[in-house]
Amino acid sequence: MALGELERAVMAQLWAAPAPLTVREVHDRLERELAYTTVMTVLGRLAKKGVVRQERDGKAYRYTAASTREQLAASLMLDALGDVGEDRTAALVAFVDQVGPEEAAALRAALQAGPGAVPPPAAAMPEVPQPRTDGMPSGPERGPES
Amino acid sequence: MASVWLAALALVLAGPVPSVLARAQWPQRVPRAAIVLWQAIALAAVLAAVGSALAAPEELLRALGPEQRQGTTMVVAVAIAAILAGLIVLRLLGVLVLLAVRTRRRRARHRDMVDLLDRAERSALIGGGGAKSVLRVLDGAVPFAYCVPGRAPRVVVTEAALDTLDADELRAVLAHEQAHLDARHDLVREGFVALHQAFPVLARSRQARDAVGMLLEMLADDAGRSRCSDTAMAGALEAFGAAGDTEVGARLARVRAQACGSRALATGTYLAAAAVVVVPTVAVVIPWLAVALPAAGVLR
Repeated sequence: MALGELERAVMAQLWAAPAPLTVREVHDRLERELAYTTVMTVLGRLAKKGVVRQERDGKAYRYTAASTREQLAASLMLDALGDVGEDRTAALVAFVDQVGPEEAAALRAALQAGPGAVPPPAAAMPEVPQPRTDGMPSGPERGPES
Repeated sequence: MASVWLAALALVLAGPVPSVLARAQWPQRVPRAAIVLWQAIALAAVLAAVGSALAAPEELLRALGPEQRQGTTMVVAVAIAAILAGLIVLRLLGVLVLLAVRTRRRRARHRDMVDLLDRAERSALIGGGGAKSVLRVLDGAVPFAYCVPGRAPRVVVTEAALDTLDADELRAVLAHEQAHLDARHDLVREGFVALHQAFPVLARSRQARDAVGMLLEMLADDAGRSRCSDTAMAGALEAFGAAGDTEVGARLARVRAQACGSRALATGTYLAAAAVVVVPTVAVVIPWLAVALPAAGVLR
């Protein structure tokens, strides 16, 4: 199985789980013919990318998604939208590089939504630039605290 | 005189010319040729500035007379020329390298995240719809589409976009993004972004960057129009466009008017682009070299 697909499957399990999971729990939930060490490697890679957080629980590590699916998706869209104005870098090219104030508000709301313990994905994505859109205060981290 | 001519040319190409061209309507009829013209103007402006910096001290020396042409005067003149020309070239190269590194790092990161978030079941459904690049579907309530250029490109659409667009409109959007990726429009864009970052105040580099950005969108719109239809492209722009976005307004008006390029206008624009680079070289630089090179031989 491709590594990308495996990473996606592991993330799906972490996003679906109500509490942090151990490697063993992730391995069992995947219901595939996989080596335990493969799952461990994938979790390590995801932690390195900053999308998974590792916490020590006694002898074992427990893993949890650093942000919800919705938050991550919203941060990606803000990243693509942020590529305008003075910050323009041509890294990403949007079909239409501006959204209306309502859509911008929806994206910001999605970024803030989810469990309160979850930090904004800006922490996981240090290179997210300040989005510039209509009627939108700049910066994902400067919004109202949820 | 060469240095004076080149300095004047650099000033004109950096100031009034971009101002006028950015406001003109005709480039929208021939976006591809107009982009080449913008590139030629940018190239000629940089070359003229560098050439002027190189020619000025040499011409000054030649005007001074033989007895002053040695020792310190010579060294100072050459140093000034080298520093001025070097500043322009190094500044541009430095910005270009830094921008390239940051852009690629950000893209790689973004691509990783998009791959993780992909709604595989939905992207598999449309994946066969003619798009050559890997398609990714993000969940989210905002209709949105973009591409991540590079060697492993991605076309990204949101689920809301899939729900908003009809099949034809979706194909038009995918064709638009695919055109960006196939023709590496991002490299053209990156060049003008670098030019603006390197020379943000003196030159009208912002107008150039934004005008070229819009022309690239129009070029991709044309790909979508020819792959699908004007109606589908217009529908997609209407579905996504925020009210009052002037760039989208211009693109939409252009698609609705079924604007098609004129071959004569395109040819004229290409000729102008060639002339901007060739004429100063033949008229100013070569005559100067013809005098300066033998003179430098005599000096030594």
